[in-house]
Amino acid sequence: MRLKNGYMGKILRADLSTGTLKVEPTSEDVAKKYLGGKGYAVYLLYQYLKEYESKGVPPAEIDPLGPENMLIFATGPGTGVPGFPSSGRYHVMALRSPLTGSIGSGNSGGEWGPFLKFSGFDAVVVEGASDKPVYIAIVDGEAELRDASALWGKNVFDTTRILKKKVGGENTSVACIGPAGENSAHMACIVNDEHRAAGRTGLGAVMGSKKLKAIVVSGSEKVPVAEPDKFREISKRCLDAMRKNTVTGEGLPTYGTAVLVNIINTAGGLPYKNWQTGVNPDAEKISGETLAGTYLTQRRACWGCIVGCGRVTSVKSGPFQILASEGPEYESVWALGSSTAVKDLDAVVKANHYCDELGLDPITLGSTIAAAMELNERGYIPEEDLQGLDLKFGNAAALVESVWRTAYKAGFGKYLALGSKKLCEVYGHPELSMSVKGLEMPAYDPRAIKGIGLNYATANRGGCHVTGYTVSPEILGIPEKIDPLKLEGKAKWVKIFQDFTCVVNSTVNCLFTTFALSIKDYAELLSAVTGWNLTEDDILKIGERIYNLERVIINRYGFDGKDDTLPERLIKEKMPEGPAKGQVVELEKMKGEYYKLRGWINGKPSPEKLKELDIKL
Amino acid sequence: MAGVSAKIMLFATLRKKYGVKDLNVECDGTIFNLIENASKILGGSFFDDVYDKNQGKVRENIIFMINGRNIKDLGEKIEIKDNDVIAIFPPIAGG
Repeated sequence: MRLKNGYMGKILRADLSTGTLKVEPTSEDVAKKYLGGKGYAVYLLYQYLKEYESKGVPPAEIDPLGPENMLIFATGPGTGVPGFPSSGRYHVMALRSPLTGSIGSGNSGGEWGPFLKFSGFDAVVVEGASDKPVYIAIVDGEAELRDASALWGKNVFDTTRILKKKVGGENTSVACIGPAGENSAHMACIVNDEHRAAGRTGLGAVMGSKKLKAIVVSGSEKVPVAEPDKFREISKRCLDAMRKNTVTGEGLPTYGTAVLVNIINTAGGLPYKNWQTGVNPDAEKISGETLAGTYLTQRRACWGCIVGCGRVTSVKSGPFQILASEGPEYESVWALGSSTAVKDLDAVVKANHYCDELGLDPITLGSTIAAAMELNERGYIPEEDLQGLDLKFGNAAALVESVWRTAYKAGFGKYLALGSKKLCEVYGHPELSMSVKGLEMPAYDPRAIKGIGLNYATANRGGCHVTGYTVSPEILGIPEKIDPLKLEGKAKWVKIFQDFTCVVNSTVNCLFTTFALSIKDYAELLSAVTGWNLTEDDILKIGERIYNLERVIINRYGFDGKDDTLPERLIKEKMPEGPAKGQVVELEKMKGEYYKLRGWINGKPSPEKLKELDIKL
Repeated sequence: MAGVSAKIMLFATLRKKYGVKDLNVECDGTIFNLIENASKILGGSFFDDVYDKNQGKVRENIIFMINGRNIKDLGEKIEIKDNDVIAIFPPIAGG
């Protein structure tokens, strides 16, 4: 029987090598254990990995840019359900990331996730690789593989507009790659609805390697709900709580995420000049307050969201003029602005716009440019390699030029397109890459916010803040305030945040709801939608199961305790100034406690833990 | 206690509402007196926006930092010293 109640009951499996499309049922057994979105995708990826192993293909030999890589676009039971808080999202995963060699993972908002469900599917699984450019069109339950030769080479905005018009229909949305993905830039992302992206770990390059330009979804099917009356009541209570909550009801709508620039800088944790310090003297110039006062033209919400943190912006005049763009959000402002010491917000907005247009992850790109700036200022890059690109901290023009050079691998762009880890290895100074497991860390220096350091070190996909966002209790005081400079209790918080975030990314809705909603709220919302009686403990167990199975996968690539670490700069170099002056991250102390709580030995889940979570290898 | 002078910095909606980024305020070294004196410059509503009279402390959802450290992390006895920088944020978040 077709799974319903929160699910559309169908998964599209596209084999691009043979050009065949198959429809498979969504499994109730898998959904009950892994929900959907990230969780369901992790489950499927593990099945592929086992299949490869049984055929004698070692996981570590899977080429991230080869046809053997898998790409999964997945929604969850909350996605696209009217009244399910901020449920306009979807999750994308790949067996391996070209940037890191670990698992590929990204999450995006906009409209694409709900519209995939309205088109009749819970997920799209992409296998193999096509010889010529193609796109997948899914309209009202029917899927087709179509020629995309005429679209190859086009940017994200043109591709989106052409395909929206061509495919047409009600609720049409396009997820596509730009030139960066086509050219296999390792930080290429998948962009939907022009400005929303599954940004991290180079998923756009995986899509490009498969010659898959886009997936267009369109439809008007409704997502069934098991207990509509009960759901309506719980939904109303949760949405009221979000409206009344000062963060989701006022802070985020008014200023978006870039409002964090000043507070993180005040706490001494805003990485500046490739993490040489956590205090940016020009933070005010690139802050959310400045953005709102000068560039903001309106807000834009994702499907079904009452928060509306998206910023519609313009640069009115000058060399970096843009008529209309979206963003930058906090991470982009930091990576393109603070890490590079570029204080010209016009340039940061422009660089962010180019990232959307060309399909690049601004966090990894900005961090890679910052690493190149430090390499260059220290005299480690031969002049002939730079080909006239004046990569010095603070050079706004060089920042903007670096974006398109990276997307097209033009001149020095071919080195930038590798990401900071490989770039720094090429020039003999791997210690200058501010990355964990090859993924560049986002905008919080853990010397000033210790818990986020433990999270960066242990995050399965690498240096990621939204795997376990302990900045929330450490700096923002949500749900309760803990001291960012102390170590006590951090392991517990990191584990809870990592597990609960897996639930959010498998629901799939927006992490920002968790500023206002509790685990109990999620249990009640999901129970009413699916008809399953889920308790808070069930919810956290599902999250923990997903996190552990994802960990099992990265273990198969050779990542273990030795990789659960941080760049030397954060462990050995004392913070030179600010409120965290003299601090380093005492990672090992926190990590021991964390492994104990997780039931892991040297970064690997113990057999007892796997048994407890009912994970069968 | 001898008077001290501290710099107050306002952010986000507080900055928008009161129209200033920062101001120097004299006080007796207590947070209560600092906010009270700032209210004389910014207007009475500032006190109520930041301070909870019934609880006798800074409002729960206000982020009040002295030299980059949240007062919630500084223990019970907090004294404002000359040239301290006080950053006051309304409830904000991001990611």
